[in-house]
Amino acid sequence: MISRPIKEGFSGVGRHWAMSISSAIAVTITLVIISVFLLLTWNVNNFTQNIESSLDIYASVDYDAENQEAALKKKIEAIDGVESVELSPKSAEFQAYLDSFSDERTKEAFEPYASDNPMHDAFYVKAADGSKIQSIADALYEMKNNNEGLYEISYGGQSTISIVDAMANIRKIGMILVIGLILLAIFLIQNTIKLTITARATEIEIMRNVGASNRFIRSPFLIEGVIIGILGAAVPIGLTIWGYIALYNNAGGILISNMFHLVEPYPFVYYVSGILLLMGIVVGFIGSWLSVTRYLRWKR
Amino acid sequence: MIECSHVFKRYKNGTNALYDINIKVDQGEFIYIIGPTGSGKSTLIKLLDGEEVATKGSVKAVGIDVGKLKRGQVPVYRRNIGVVFQDFRLLPEKTVAENISYALEVINMKKPQIQKRVKEVMQVVGLEDKGDSFPRELSGGQQQRVTIARAIANRPKVLIADEPTGNLDPAKSAEIMELLAEINKKYGTTVVMVTHDASIVNRYRRRTVVLEHGHIVADLAEGGYVRHDQ
Repeated sequence: MISRPIKEGFSGVGRHWAMSISSAIAVTITLVIISVFLLLTWNVNNFTQNIESSLDIYASVDYDAENQEAALKKKIEAIDGVESVELSPKSAEFQAYLDSFSDERTKEAFEPYASDNPMHDAFYVKAADGSKIQSIADALYEMKNNNEGLYEISYGGQSTISIVDAMANIRKIGMILVIGLILLAIFLIQNTIKLTITARATEIEIMRNVGASNRFIRSPFLIEGVIIGILGAAVPIGLTIWGYIALYNNAGGILISNMFHLVEPYPFVYYVSGILLLMGIVVGFIGSWLSVTRYLRWKR
Repeated sequence: MIECSHVFKRYKNGTNALYDINIKVDQGEFIYIIGPTGSGKSTLIKLLDGEEVATKGSVKAVGIDVGKLKRGQVPVYRRNIGVVFQDFRLLPEKTVAENISYALEVINMKKPQIQKRVKEVMQVVGLEDKGDSFPRELSGGQQQRVTIARAIANRPKVLIADEPTGNLDPAKSAEIMELLAEINKKYGTTVVMVTHDASIVNRYRRRTVVLEHGHIVADLAEGGYVRHDQ
């Protein structure tokens, strides 16, 4: 009979509603904190990816080496960590330069140079991930120094790399905090349920006296824990959905500057909600398992 | 039905509770185990229902060596014996009928059978109209009847009653005694009753085992309360 533990679990929550509510509040508090960290970590992750994906290394080609561009491209592509290499001809570079001015008069002043283009052809090198930028740039500098046809190398430099490193650290710290908070939640719930069960130790003893097996006694308590976990997750889920959407709309999708784009709320908030619900269930289950097992140990 | 041979019990904290206990109880017998507080009565019951294991010697009940049971087998073994407690031990959040049916759900009895059996035993103990009441709404004597109904619901061969009249006044005690005697006679259930109520032992005379300081000091077939003061 599977229905018995479920039925008894529900009525257990109802009959001990004060205890159930206090356990659920313990879940709620930790899950709210976990939710904040999840949103933060996820967004930081997103920033990092955005920044990393916009980190191109620019390498212009010597005038003398313009006929070797195909070979150069192959050579750059062979550098470890390079995802893609794109060649931009000097005409495009010149146009991009012109486009960077907003007033027409400056643009007109530069027009005459179009026929005698001073720009260089250039490679735009994309790194597979942020940590590789430095080593790729170093390899390109080496090519330049060996006179292999590169004229100038430029990339965001040390500062962008530090941002990427900082983001990676924030992400790591966030993950550690989330794991720590989950353990804390289990501990809190275990303690609250332990209180509930201490009050019900006699009940468990009676069940044992009439010959109930441990599994028979334990299963309704586990269902109770899961119900408490779900109840406890309800408020954090609501706050997450409402709060994040409000934040996103008020901030216009960006944080501080255009560099930090927030993750689109849909379906992001549903993912986070799903994780919170799952955590509530798991934490409720483990918490009540640990506390009920204490009273089911046979001293024999 | 019950056989204790050369049973010694020494608790982990060093307390010696029982010394060389030898008791043999036949099927259908009704015996008293009497003795003052600390004489080892409770320990003897714990050995019988599998809560504790004898340090030496063997405890056998309904053909099972209780001390040799694995932990997981103890609940199953307990279904063979009904236990009635002085403090009733009813589940406070369950009604009378639910309390009795719990003992039957435990042994996986089917729902319609449970309902039928619960009705039967409530009749036996004379509480057929109290099924929907909660234990706190009943008097002590009535609660003890519910406990007895629960203990006999799955037709155990042995009924252990631990001071069943301890919390009751003399009139209610007499009713409980009559009920136990009826169960013993009608269903052939072996009854082991632990008590220190001298008036009961003297009034309803039966085989009486006297425990003192963990020793059996008397085993009287004709019964009667014995005080063994050194």
